[in-house]
Parts: sequence; C-alpha cells; structure tokens
Amino acid sequence: MNRFHRNNVTFWVFLAPVLFAFVMVVAIPFVIGGFYSFTDWNATARAGQGLKFVGLHNFTRSFQDPSFLYSFIITTIYTLVNVVVINVLAIVLALAVTSKLRFRNLYRMGFFVPYLIGGLILGYLWQFVFNNAIPAIGNALPFLSTLANPENLMLRHVDTSIIALVIVGSWQYAGYIMMIYVAAIEGVPTELYEAAQIDGASGWQKFRGITVPMIAQAFTITMFLTLVNSFKQFDVNYSLTAGGPATSFMGKSIYGTELLAMNIYKVAFVGNDLAAGQARAVVFFVVIVVFSLVQVSINKKKELEL
Amino acid sequence: MKSNKRLYILEFFMLAFLVVYLYPFVIVFINSAKDAFSVTQYPMRLPEKWSQLFVNMESIWTSRNVRYSSSFFSSLIITALSLVFVTIFPAMGAWVLVRTKTKTSQFIFLIFVAAMVIPFQIVMFPLVAWFRTVFQVTGLRLLRTYFGIVLAYLGFGLSLSVFVYHGFIKNIPFELEEASIIDGCKLPEVFFRIIFPLLTPVHATIGILHGMWIWNDFLLPLLVLGKGNRIQTLPLAVANFAGAYVKQWDLILTAILMAMIPVLILFFIAQKRIVKGMVAGSIK
Amino acid sequence: MRKIGVAALVLLMIGAVVFASGRPETGRDGITLMQNKPEIDAMLQDYGQVWSDSSGIGITIKSVGGSSGTSLGQQLRADYTAGEMPDIFIIAGIEDYREWESLILDLSGEKWVADTSVAFTVDGKVYGFPVAIEGWGMAYNGDILKAAGVDPASLTSYGAYKTAFQKIDGMKDKLGLDSVVSMAASADMGWVTAHHNFNSLLSNGLPYGDMSVVKDLQNGKVDQNRLQQYADWVELLFTYADQTVLTTGNYDAQVGAFATEKAAFLHQGNWVDPNMDAAGATFPMAFAPHGSLKQVTDGIFVSAPSFYVINAESKNVAAAKQFLNDMVYTNAGQNFMVKEAGMLPAFSNITLKPAGQLSQSVQKWSSAGKVYSWNQYQFSGEFRDQVLAPIYNQFATKQISKSEFVQAMTRAFENRKN
Repeated sequence: MNRFHRNNVTFWVFLAPVLFAFVMVVAIPFVIGGFYSFTDWNATARAGQGLKFVGLHNFTRSFQDPSFLYSFIITTIYTLVNVVVINVLAIVLALAVTSKLRFRNLYRMGFFVPYLIGGLILGYLWQFVFNNAIPAIGNALPFLSTLANPENLMLRHVDTSIIALVIVGSWQYAGYIMMIYVAAIEGVPTELYEAAQIDGASGWQKFRGITVPMIAQAFTITMFLTLVNSFKQFDVNYSLTAGGPATSFMGKSIYGTELLAMNIYKVAFVGNDLAAGQARAVVFFVVIVVFSLVQVSINKKKELEL
Repeated sequence: MKSNKRLYILEFFMLAFLVVYLYPFVIVFINSAKDAFSVTQYPMRLPEKWSQLFVNMESIWTSRNVRYSSSFFSSLIITALSLVFVTIFPAMGAWVLVRTKTKTSQFIFLIFVAAMVIPFQIVMFPLVAWFRTVFQVTGLRLLRTYFGIVLAYLGFGLSLSVFVYHGFIKNIPFELEEASIIDGCKLPEVFFRIIFPLLTPVHATIGILHGMWIWNDFLLPLLVLGKGNRIQTLPLAVANFAGAYVKQWDLILTAILMAMIPVLILFFIAQKRIVKGMVAGSIK
Repeated sequence: MRKIGVAALVLLMIGAVVFASGRPETGRDGITLMQNKPEIDAMLQDYGQVWSDSSGIGITIKSVGGSSGTSLGQQLRADYTAGEMPDIFIIAGIEDYREWESLILDLSGEKWVADTSVAFTVDGKVYGFPVAIEGWGMAYNGDILKAAGVDPASLTSYGAYKTAFQKIDGMKDKLGLDSVVSMAASADMGWVTAHHNFNSLLSNGLPYGDMSVVKDLQNGKVDQNRLQQYADWVELLFTYADQTVLTTGNYDAQVGAFATEKAAFLHQGNWVDPNMDAAGATFPMAFAPHGSLKQVTDGIFVSAPSFYVINAESKNVAAAKQFLNDMVYTNAGQNFMVKEAGMLPAFSNITLKPAGQLSQSVQKWSSAGKVYSWNQYQFSGEFRDQVLAPIYNQFATKQISKSEFVQAMTRAFENRKN
C-alpha cells in the first residue's frame, strides 16, 4: 500500500527538516571524519603544514596494537553481560511500574532518576561506593568482614572491575530502557485485557498472550539501544576505572578495563594522533553496525514468530 | 485474599529495592551540605550544618565564572527548543517513511538508524570544522549560536526518534487514515489531526529520554558553543569544579542537586499528563 | 489539538527570534587567556578585572578543567578548529610546543626573560613564560618523624629510607598511622608513578639539566645498575604504602591520608598546599629527597611545569605581552601570583613568599641550589601513560615481581617507538 509516490511533494516536505539536519550534522562530518582516517591529520597548527595521505597505515597499525585488540575483546564481553542485565532489570521494573502496585508512580520516577546524573560524576560517585562504602560495611558487619580487606576491593581486579562497570552502567541505564518497555506495555489498549478477562483468562495467560508479544516488539528497539550504548560506553569507564587495573596481554602491560571508546580517546588525545583515533573509530563503527545488523535480523525473525 | 498478601509482599520488596537503588542520591544529598574536605574524608557522615548547603548553593549561584542563572536559562531554551523539534520533525519523517514502501524510503530509514551507531569521536572535530566552513562560505552562523546547537541536537537525536516513532506508527491501523481521507482530509491534515495525537505516549517518552540527554549533555555544547563564551549550558558552566588536582566536591555535588531538582519537578508534572493521555487514548 | 498547534507555532516564533539574535561574538578589543587550573580561576578572574581597569584593555579568562572529561589540549584543538584560538594559552613542554609550533610567538626580547632561569626555550629562543615554580620530593610530617625519632635531614639515600620506613612501620599503632607512605598507583593516578616517580630514574643525583640518562634510554640503552636501584626504591614505596590507596585510591584519598595524619610521607608536590589548607592540616611539613639510589642524592625536583605562550596570529600581541609583563612587575600582578593563587613565582625580582609550607620548602631547596631537573617530559605522554603506567600498576597490584618489573621496563625502552 503505497501512500506516497516517491515524487510526492508531501513525502519530501515532511522529510526535509530531518534530512537537512541529518546531512548537516551527521552525514557530512562523518564522511569528512572517514576521510581523515586515511591521512595524518591532527586538527592543530601542524595541519596547516599540509595533509599527508597515508592510505591504510592507520588501520594496519591499529590492528597490530595489543591494547586495541584487547579492548575489542573486553568490550564485547562487557556488552554481552550489560545487555542481559539491563534488559532483565528493565523488564522487571517495567512490569512493576505498570502493575497494580500502590507506589507505581513513585517507582517510575525513582528508577528513572539515576539517568539524571551524568556519566562522569556517576563514575566518581560509584568509585567512592566501591572503594570506601563497601569496605565500611565490611568493617561494620563482622560476617561481611571480607569486604573490608583491601585485597578484595572490586576495583582492584580486572574481572570484578568489569562487574562494577556493569553494575554502574545498568544502574544508570535500566530506567531509560524501562521507559521504553513501559510505553510498549501501556500502548496495549485496555479493551484487549478486558476482552481476555471476559473470556476467563488468568493473570498468567493474560501476561503470556498479550503483554509478552507487546514487549517483544519493544525488544528490537531495546536490544539495539543497549547493544549500541554498551559498546560505546565511555563516561562511566573513564571515571569509574580509568581503564582499570593493568594486566598482561600478548606480552605487553596494558590497562585491563579500557573499553574501545576509551582506547580511541587515549590514542587520539593522549597520543596526540587524531587521525589514528579516527581510523579506530571507523573500525569501531563498522563492527557495531555488523553486530547490530545481526541482532536486528534475529529479533525481527523472533517477532514474526510471536 | 491470597493475591492481596502477595501484593503486599511484592510491594515491600519493591520499596526496599527502591531505597537501596537510590542510595547514591542520599550520598549526593548529604554531601552537598559539606565543605570540600569533609566530602572526601567523611562521606558517610551526616553534615554538621545543613546551612552549608545554602552556602554552597550561593557560591555556585553567584560565581562569576559559572554565571548560573544565565546558564540555567540557556540550558532551558536549548532543551525546550530541541525537544519541540526532535519530536515533531522526526514524527513527520517517520510517518511518511512508514507509509511508503519504496527502496528510497527504506534506504533513508536504514541510514537514519545506522547513524545511532556512530561514536561521537568520529564526527566531533569534523563537525566543528564543517560548521566553520559553512560560515565562511555562506555567512550562516552555526557555531556559538542557539541555532547551531539546536540543529546539532536535532541531527543527533533524530535517529532514535525516527526509530521509535517508526515502530509505533506501524501499529496504527491504516484504515484510520483511509477513513479520514474519504472524509475529505488532505494528507498533512491526516497526519496532524489523526496520527499526531495518537502518538502522545511516544512524544512523552521521547521527550523525557532526549530531554535528559540534552539537559545533561556536556560534549556537544563544549564543541558547538565553546567554553567561556556568551551562551553556556549548565554542564559547561559547572565543569570547572573538577580540575586536574583539586575537585571541589562540595560544589560539584551541590551543582548536581541544583540541576536535578527542576528536572524532577518537570518529570513529576509530566508524569501526570502521560497517565491522563494514556487513559484518554485507551477510552477512545 | 489546535492548542498544541498554536503552542508549537509560538515556540517556533520564539525560536526564530532567538536564532536571528545569534549575533557573532562582539570581538571585544581585548584578549583571551586560556589556562588549565580551574582552582585558581576565581582569583585569576579577579586579577583580570583589576588589570583591565588599570590598563584599559579587556581580558577574558577561560579555565579548562583537567579531569572533567576534557583537557586544555583538547579544548585548544576544538577552539582552533572553530577559528577562535586564544591570545595567551598554556603549554606544558616540548610535546605541546611541537604541536602548536607554527603559532607560538618568539618572546626572547621580553623584559622578564632576564629575571627567570626557567623560561621555556627551544634552540636558544625563549617561547614560554613560566607560570610558577613547582617541586616535589617526599613530603613528610615533621611531628610524626620527630615522635618516631627519625631525622629528616638524614633521608637522602635508599638505605636511610629503608631504615626509616622499617622503623616507622614498626611504630604504626603508637603513632596512629595506617601506613608509612601515602602512594598511589591506580589507573587514574598513573601520573604519580609514570611521570613523577619515573623522573627519579631520569634525573635523581645528576646535575641540573643533565640529559645523559634520558638520551641513553631514548636510544634504547638501559643502565641496569641504575634501573635495579630504582626498582628497589619503587618496591620500598609500594611495600610500605597503604594498599587501598595504592591500588584503588584517587587523588583525594592519597592526599587526604597524609592530611589527616594517617601516613607519615606523601608522594606529591607543593601543589597540594591548597588541599592541606582545605583540610586544616597545620602540622609542620616539608620535603625530603627521593631515595632512588644507594648514593646520597641531596636535592628535590624543581622546575616550571607550564608556560604561558602568545598566539603569533593574535590581533592583540602588544596587549598580550603587556599582560605577561604586568604580572611580573606590578604589585597587583605579584600579589595575584603569590598571595592569591598561592604559587611560587619563577622570577627573581619577586620577594613575596607563598603561604603554603610545602611551597616554602621548595623555595628553601631552590635557594640552596639543591635541585634536580624534571626530565619526564622528554618522553611522550603516550609512552608514559600507555606503556609505563600499566607496568607500575601491575607491580603495585603484585601481578609481577620486581625482576619482572625490571624486565618490563627494559623492554619498554628498547621497543619504544616515540
């Protein structure tokens, strides 16, 4: 059912504002940025001395760098865990908020509110929780005294630091995702529930038959968002662990919780090599696109099944 | 009766969970009423003088470098304008994309969504360079203006908006629109009279999601508005509190508190309207 | 429905009005200064106002924080791309200089050049105005050392420190300490180990300005003897440090431990004076040398870490030059530098003394000529932060042993690319 012929005026007029903004703000800078990754650009006075085309040099160098490869691995692990945790938490919260619980409006606001604190300050706050508050609890409660041992600090080891990152990332983001599930659940016309009630369906049957398919549609959106945002995580990484405890990889001493975005940042700004940073960012982009295409197609198939 | 008891137990657990969940805010709150050193050394203790909170608030409000009142106002304008555009325009675009099944429309939709994946680092500097080039070539000022930053927020925010609107518009029965056309409505009327009101829950959701992002955003204003220039947003203004060696925690936390409160109030008001919208929509 | 339409229209109109009023920044007939110490921003703004009033030239001060997600370098790049390079900005060393080389003005003919020995020079030409003198050594708590019977004047070699640390460690409970030394090696404190502590390897015990060790290391030649002694020193510090602060503590935690007298020594520099002040720490404190060698190394590390430079393409070079001059030669300027901002001035004509104890200690060592240079900036930021810092971190968290630490450091220098 084609409402609009491609040349229809309304089609283009309605699209014009977003197309303009998109081209001006995203598309053109992206292409320029992509171009820079093939050069030795540095956005400073040195650039005034001419731009040199270096071909794939930035890319090959990135793939030879152990810290870049390690970042890939650790970011993938982090993303997988984060996606699961955030979505499970968000669904549970969304159900609570749309249920008959008395304080559900309070919950809606309360669980969303963590998103209000910006990522950087969030990291510093939670750094305090992991480094000071938890040991303090360990000191106060004897049966939890292992918490007070400096050897057991979560941010001291790479694996528990990743868990810490997931905790903070979920805390910040679950409310955001919850809102999307809530919108999906509340989009269900109440007549559907009433009809099912009249037909004698139980609570569980109503849930499975009506609510779950509704949530499943939101799934594609939420999976995509959590996947992409986890992969792009920077703020919390920077402030909570700053790359975290060091570890050995491929014979080199590198930072153990340095996610990809942070690795790119360090190459670009600490290493003063913006072009190399751009190249890595382009690789980063391609990888996320591949991952999300896979995810979306899987979700679409499931959606049809439901 | 059994379901009632279950409900009470559930309620209890949820409340307890909420309290634990929000504990970091308690930390923010009690520490905003302390001086810098006490914050870092004795963060768990209750403040000695709650009046310190007002002292901190006053230093932030009157700080010449922060220019709190004007930054607050600027943040408000930017957020409000951006929200208007990042709901209306993407909704319009999403609608025509949904109702057109051509290769072009699918391609455009995919491009919009794919853009969500772009890490900001790739476009950061090229954006500034490009905006500057536009000014040099056409005289249109984008950097350091409201127009530029709102355009930037529309550009970066439309991906999510189009994505979400697309998903919801797909579920609106086509017959609804056909009926109104038979009644003699022209196409734009169909959108604004029929579709747009039905999207109220989505407007609210997108408004809240993007509103939070824009209100707290630091990087984009840093690049487009620049630091220390005429138009500053709140996150830009308070960024100075965290230096390399000396972090003025008392001011940072107080500033967080001050930034949160208007948002919470708005959220609370908005919530009631969302619920009203839901109920009205479902009755129809 | 129509109400929403009307409301939207109204907003759009407001929007249009606001947009139209996007006048360009009125290029004030003044100058812009960008610096990276937000903690002195308020004082600098005040001084800027005073200077404006007396000179008749407007000045805009922009302070960029070091850890709020953006650094001065980043901000400069962004502003340069936007076509708004400040008239005066800050560089930290040769790396920064190379980046902005084509924009930095030669200031060799300025009056203040003659009154300082630490101006930033390249190939004999002066380019940078030293913002302040800074120094570090092992800061110690005079009261605690006295109570422990340790004479700070004796702390000049590895052996002396080892004895002192062992002694104090044995008396921890009696002295009310958590640890002997407050040292940090976590990921975001990599600058304490890979910048400052690393410098001991480069310049401790050598004449001021001596680059022999630096040159050797840059060529991949590692003096194992010197490195081994240095590793012993690092091990000593790590062993007697508070493990929580060492592995996960941030700046506030590290400095706070010393300020609240939970540690007898602090591995930081005189920039912590404001922190001490905020903490109300009034116990006697001063610097002692680093004990990174078996031989006696009687001096601390003193230099000027950052410099004001003038943008050669500025439209107001004369005003910018005047601003820098006035800071050195007017009472208001001197007062700002020393009394308000608490910095140690780099100019010999200034007689004011800063209030902080550690700054005064630096001044004492400096006047006595017992100083060693800051050489860590001869190695790139990337090398120090991404290659060396993780090695220190692994050593601090006991993932690698001392011999592995030595091997890793040696390999790092031999394989260094930049």
